[in-house]
Amino acid sequence: MLEARLDQASVLKKVVDSIKDLVQDCNFDCNDSGIALQAMDNSHVALVSMMLKTDSFSPYRCDRNVALGVNLTSLTKVLRAADNNDVLTLKAEDAPDVLNLTFENPSNDRVSEYDLKLMDIDQEHLGIPETEYAATISMPSSEFKRITTDLMAMSESVTIEASKDGIKFSSQGDIGNGSVTLRQHTNVEKTDESIEIELAEPVSLTFSLKYLVNFCKASTLSPQVKICLSNEVPLLVEYPMANNSYLRFYLAPKIGDEE
Amino acid sequence: MARTTRSTKGSAATTASAKDATPASKTSAYTLSTESENPPKLFIIPKKASSEARIVTLQNPRYAKPTRYLVCPEAGFFEFTKISAPKTAPRSWLLESARGGISSSEKGLERGLDAQTTKGAEFYVATPIDPVFLVLPALAAKSGKSTDDHGKKRMFLSTEEHFDAVNDPSSHLSEILTWPSVREQIESRMAAVCDTVDAGDEQMFRLNETKLLEEILSKVKRISEKGLPKSMEEKFVTKALEAPILGIKSQPANIPDAKPIDRESASAEEERTSLQAAESADSQSTISSVETSASSVSEASTAATSISDDAATTNEVVNAMTASEEVLKLQRLRVAFDFICSSYIVPKLTEQLKAQISTAKDVVDFQPLDEYLAQLAKLRRDAAAARAPDYSRKRARDEDEDERLEKKRKKEEEDKAKKKNQSLGVKKLMKVNTTGMKKMSDFFKKK
Repeated sequence: MLEARLDQASVLKKVVDSIKDLVQDCNFDCNDSGIALQAMDNSHVALVSMMLKTDSFSPYRCDRNVALGVNLTSLTKVLRAADNNDVLTLKAEDAPDVLNLTFENPSNDRVSEYDLKLMDIDQEHLGIPETEYAATISMPSSEFKRITTDLMAMSESVTIEASKDGIKFSSQGDIGNGSVTLRQHTNVEKTDESIEIELAEPVSLTFSLKYLVNFCKASTLSPQVKICLSNEVPLLVEYPMANNSYLRFYLAPKIGDEE
Repeated sequence: MARTTRSTKGSAATTASAKDATPASKTSAYTLSTESENPPKLFIIPKKASSEARIVTLQNPRYAKPTRYLVCPEAGFFEFTKISAPKTAPRSWLLESARGGISSSEKGLERGLDAQTTKGAEFYVATPIDPVFLVLPALAAKSGKSTDDHGKKRMFLSTEEHFDAVNDPSSHLSEILTWPSVREQIESRMAAVCDTVDAGDEQMFRLNETKLLEEILSKVKRISEKGLPKSMEEKFVTKALEAPILGIKSQPANIPDAKPIDRESASAEEERTSLQAAESADSQSTISSVETSASSVSEASTAATSISDDAATTNEVVNAMTASEEVLKLQRLRVAFDFICSSYIVPKLTEQLKAQISTAKDVVDFQPLDEYLAQLAKLRRDAAAARAPDYSRKRARDEDEDERLEKKRKKEEEDKAKKKNQSLGVKKLMKVNTTGMKKMSDFFKKK
């Protein structure tokens, strides 16, 4: 039996909103450490990995590991009924065919309850090793979002070049080319605005902008985004959440035949 | 106060009475009179039938059931063919008596209108029938025991003796035999198919199968020479003799006697048949009535449906080889013969006649037709065989095929359901060019 209570329904709403445009159906794997999710997009070039630690819930109870196979579009529809400040409770049996969601409005005692039909999803789990990245960049998620959408106007792909000069996003397209360069920058007053670059070695990789734009839908989850790059390894875009929870996106770099 | 029809005065009266009636019963303004237990029937009776003519019950020669016939001392025997409108187009008759029409005198009104409607629009047509068919069962009654020695042991019997053997209390045969002219007619027809011996002032008869066959063949020839009714011609002659299309492989049929008929003669043929279909109405018994009943989906078309199975079974083919005039003629003969046999002659006797006709080569030789039909059957087999590999292959794989189709269908359904629940973003991402991008599983190994 699973019972997980989130003080803010917005957390789940945002997570699901960020993922739903990347994957369609996925399993929410619930165990005693929290609720995890791993799924790939249809082309299998991107992977999303989410972890909501038990600490994010109050309380959290999971007697047995359960996989909740959910269609994210359907879940979005249900979650639309929840206000951001509602208290959200997820409930499921040990071998569930529905996921029960309760939204409680803390101020006026309004309670709404939904049962979402579950599905059996055959999903392969990939083991993601801890990786030492050549470059790790932390920046405001809004900044990353802006860069990707701006460059999207130029091309379908972006080359991210990390060097000691800073980090350069550049795109070359039919109408011309464009680039955005960011340098390390510390904002003492607003730490969220800081840009932090850790560089072990210079690295330059090209990625599909459409996927990156898609990842940026998670910008609402966290003010800061962490971008990790290494040659020959997928790019990691991580949106950290409270209590060590996170939402991570992996994207395979474009190799070879490109403009 | 029931009305089934209206007249000017009548309707006024009806509405008046209806007004009185409405408050009492809200169901209907008009009530229908109860159905007559013995509703009138319509007959079309030949003009030559005298007033002495009677409708009598006799044994049906084919089915040995009591059936109504019209017997006239002068005009002879007539059978009835029921003609009715198809069930899909219901009709009825409005019948008014000969004297008082609907808008007749006030006297007529007082009596109530002399008009009736019938439930169905069927009517009966009396068509001439050769009495020989009616007496055949009686003549052939004893032949059952002596079939193997060809009736040699059969006795000469008088008319009475013949009919006593098959006397059925419901039959009026003995009754009509007392009419001198009818008896004369019957005996003269019996003489046509029997060996006769005079015994005193009485004639004795013994059925002679050869004579019977000759008699029937003469009828058959008359039918086929005048041309079969169009529907019969089409179904049992044209279609039965049509060869299948063999596609490109088709070669002109190489039978010696199968030469193509040119168009002109074919259309002329058609014209003739349609013309003669009408003619044959008054000439030889039931052919025309069968045509009408067949085309009007009559319930009474017992004869048309029971015609020779072998001719009817193979009629779904299309042209490739054409039958010669001779073959067509023979086929018409055979159809007519089968028709008479299946309509008027008991099955047992039919078998005998068929066996006889196949041996009697001097009378009519069906060999060219049989050769043609054999060739046709072969062509059809070939045509079927040409298509057969497809069937057999399909059949062999049937189960796999079914399974695969089932799977495919399921998958399609699933895909459809998936599509329905697919977000816009997912759809857009599927269009993204992912060339040069490795799969995630290339980087991360499966757990």
